[in-house]
Amino acid sequence: MDTKIKEIIESLVFISQEPLSLQRIKEVLQEFPVEEVEQAFKELQESYASNDHGIQIIQRAGGYLLSTKPEYDLWVRRLLKMERKNKLSSASLETLSAIAYKQPTTLTEISALRGVDSTHTLKTLLQKKLIRIVGRKKSPGSPLLYRTTDKFLTYFGLNRLDDLPSPEEIKKILEEQSDLEE
Amino acid sequence: MDASETYQVRLEAFQGPLDLLLFLIKKRKIDIHDIPIAVITREYLEYLNHKERLNLDREAEFLLIAALLIYIKSQMLLPREKALEEEKDPRQLLVEHLVDYQKIKTASLLLKEKEEEELQMWRRSFLPPLVETDEMDFIEVSLFDLAESFFRLMKQRERKEARTIKGEEISLEQKMREIIEELKRNSYLDFLDYFNRQESFEEAFIAFFSLLELIKSRIIIATQESHFQPIKVWLRKKAYKSN
Repeated sequence: MDTKIKEIIESLVFISQEPLSLQRIKEVLQEFPVEEVEQAFKELQESYASNDHGIQIIQRAGGYLLSTKPEYDLWVRRLLKMERKNKLSSASLETLSAIAYKQPTTLTEISALRGVDSTHTLKTLLQKKLIRIVGRKKSPGSPLLYRTTDKFLTYFGLNRLDDLPSPEEIKKILEEQSDLEE
Repeated sequence: MDASETYQVRLEAFQGPLDLLLFLIKKRKIDIHDIPIAVITREYLEYLNHKERLNLDREAEFLLIAALLIYIKSQMLLPREKALEEEKDPRQLLVEHLVDYQKIKTASLLLKEKEEEELQMWRRSFLPPLVETDEMDFIEVSLFDLAESFFRLMKQRERKEARTIKGEEISLEQKMREIIEELKRNSYLDFLDYFNRQESFEEAFIAFFSLLELIKSRIIIATQESHFQPIKVWLRKKAYKSN
């Protein structure tokens, strides 16, 4: 019985294009007791953690995904005849981190922080669904407010927003940098 | 030190004026909280002079910070009645701004590393869609687009030809089968062209309603490469397979 649940869960995670939450797995496996589903899920994770698989279960944006292991990237790309995927521009990365740390935030705030007009970059990020509009700020002109999306978390391998480098970590990195230079 | 000899990096390489300032500060190993404004201003301006023409759309921000630097410099040069320490340091706002920006910049470099790692872990969602790719590239046409197109065409025909009355009656079902048969032979139908080929108004109308019915039952799909392009009608792959 247990193995069957484990195998069902494995199929669900395999077929999901987006991170699959444990909650959703429990909903789909409605005919099985919740504790058994949780136990089976744990066992599934453990069996993938043991080192004889080319794929792994990763946790992103609050859900679970199957992915290939990074060390096999070369062969996967060779098979798919795919070059490395396009990466985000420095402007996009800067704008995203401004939004990630200041959210919810407005175009004006982001532009001021970067010292650069960010209208165009913001539009691109909206199109890529890495950010979304969450409402308007109650201030003169009622500017639009932006937040990062779950896709943002998944894209950068984060499970929650709290997984972003903390202000203390950033401070430490900056201190280390200036120490190195001296 | 002559700036033109030492600076190889072009203005375009910087995300903005703050990025350039941080670069200069780092290069000179200056403490960000105690910037020698005169030195930095000079180097900053040399950088701008390096470019023959500034693109005002893109690079106006560089001028804004240049003006700010010169302003701060002038503030610091002006003789004061009170000692400087008692007043607000004119550099303070700029320093706060730079520190804030530096944090975001550092975070963005960390995100870049994460992106790099993450792109090596391939998932199903990374793959291009495997099925119905030719359908995905098009815009699906709405009922209103179809109706508008159809009625415009009928109006044109009304002017051109006299009304012909045919004894033969064609059923909706018959027409639907005809359309499917035609789509199996050719991969698609040109929407307007198809109606033009109909012999009578009645037939064209029946053809139109047959198309709507087929679209509704998800057997065919009407698409456009982009707006104002010809509307094409396709058989849906799934429907085709099950037939």
